[in-house]
Amino acid sequence: MAALSSTPVPRESADDGLSIVCRSMASGYRDKPVLHDVSFRVDRPAVYVVLGPNGAGKTTLFRTIAGILQPTSGEVLIDGVPVGDRAAREQLHYLSHMDGIPDGLTVRESLAFYAQVEHATEADVDRVLHQLQIEEFSGTFISKLSAGQRKRVSIARIFLKERKIYLLDEPTASLDPKVAREIREIILQLSKDRIVLYSSHNLFEAREIGEYVITLKAGALTLFDRMENVRATHFRIGVRALDSAPFLADWERSGDYYVRELSGPEQVPALIQDLQAHGVRLREVREMENPLEELFT
Amino acid sequence: MANSDELPSLLGITVRRSLTVGRISLLIGTGMVVIYSAAFGFGGALLSTVGALVLPIFAVSGGLGGALVYTNDRMKGVLEYLASYGVSSRHLLLNAIVAGIVQATIVLSAGTAAGVATYLLSGNALTAQLPESLLAYTFPMSYLTVTMMTTVGVFWTSLASPRSGMNSPLGVLPLLGVMPTAAVLVVALALPAHGVQIALAAELVMFVVVLSLLARTDRFMPTERLLSPA
Repeated sequence: MAALSSTPVPRESADDGLSIVCRSMASGYRDKPVLHDVSFRVDRPAVYVVLGPNGAGKTTLFRTIAGILQPTSGEVLIDGVPVGDRAAREQLHYLSHMDGIPDGLTVRESLAFYAQVEHATEADVDRVLHQLQIEEFSGTFISKLSAGQRKRVSIARIFLKERKIYLLDEPTASLDPKVAREIREIILQLSKDRIVLYSSHNLFEAREIGEYVITLKAGALTLFDRMENVRATHFRIGVRALDSAPFLADWERSGDYYVRELSGPEQVPALIQDLQAHGVRLREVREMENPLEELFT
Repeated sequence: MANSDELPSLLGITVRRSLTVGRISLLIGTGMVVIYSAAFGFGGALLSTVGALVLPIFAVSGGLGGALVYTNDRMKGVLEYLASYGVSSRHLLLNAIVAGIVQATIVLSAGTAAGVATYLLSGNALTAQLPESLLAYTFPMSYLTVTMMTTVGVFWTSLASPRSGMNSPLGVLPLLGVMPTAAVLVVALALPAHGVQIALAAELVMFVVVLSLLARTDRFMPTERLLSPA
């Protein structure tokens, strides 16, 4: 079983002192409470991946931190200021799971719409069009764009103004792998000096970009830890060889992989040495299970 | 650019978007009103009686843009984005109403121009009755009806659960908007001697209905009602 902990992240404060603090927070909708007694503190620039099955409360958590939903008990503070306060809102960008792009406008006009809300300038719009490589269809109506292009426009708005905290709710959902990768790279760049809370159903993506993992289940926080501390109960390594390898003949097979269970990742270097000593020409060695999957069971 | 403490009005862009998003209903409403008004214009005095009573029907069918923008924005997460910046439900509703009224004005202006043109071309002389009918009934009734239709549409959209999909009210809204005007038309034609009183009474009722709906904005549209389906 993965290591379960609600221990707060070690205090490594961001240079500018920004933080998100949820303290015994409950939140939800008028007829449906969703989150219960959620407590954590985030105060270090990184990608914090928020995971949980459908209905676990990920979107509600984002909406509450963004100040759209008010906590029904407890508190949520952005740099010490309660959410809902305009000063708190101006510290963050919130990208909902929907595109949030207004109909009836071109790409440039859409960005100008956001710029009006964000108090950004025309020069900011030009800069973002260039930065997100969407200049070529700046005069195209949103309705004529592909899903990937729309998502790029949607994400472009978070670059109109500098903020210190980014709440990104499933930003790569329904995107093709190329666009999803581009967006992940953008997010990784952002996380170098900003706090990024990022939700996704794609566990491989989550593992790739997340430095910390926050999991929710039935509205409760079930894990807050460094990604590297999340380990599967069974650590299974898959090996592919360049040519037939008699040494692997008695190993378990899974597709093209020869599989062996180890007690942990620290045994991998010794295993590779052993394989090479027995003349196995390695093509690939990989961990077969994503430990994050166990967080959903 | 605005001061960072101010929330943007977004009225201008809402009106412009409603003209784009609602262009089909606007074109249909304008096209039909031109044809009907021109026909009434040839009928002489009919323009200032039956014509004036009929015009709001077309204004309603052409004035759907505001409700259309609101409904689309909620479904696509635009309202959630705006709500996160503190833009209020009331503000968004008023923008949608103004957008609908602008569209209704376009329809009414086209209809009035076509009707008056054919009225004069048919050799009729302008009397005070025509502007009186338009100013006392056609324009105010059109605006009240569009306001009611947009408000009901926005409430309806907002009351649909954010977690169980959307039931778009847009298919029913034109009928809802047309009903009061059609009722006035039928009753006024049945009781022609009381046409003025019937028209004024209908406007008064509509005014009260619109006011009571607007007064309930905060009750029907708390911020969570702006959220897109999760």
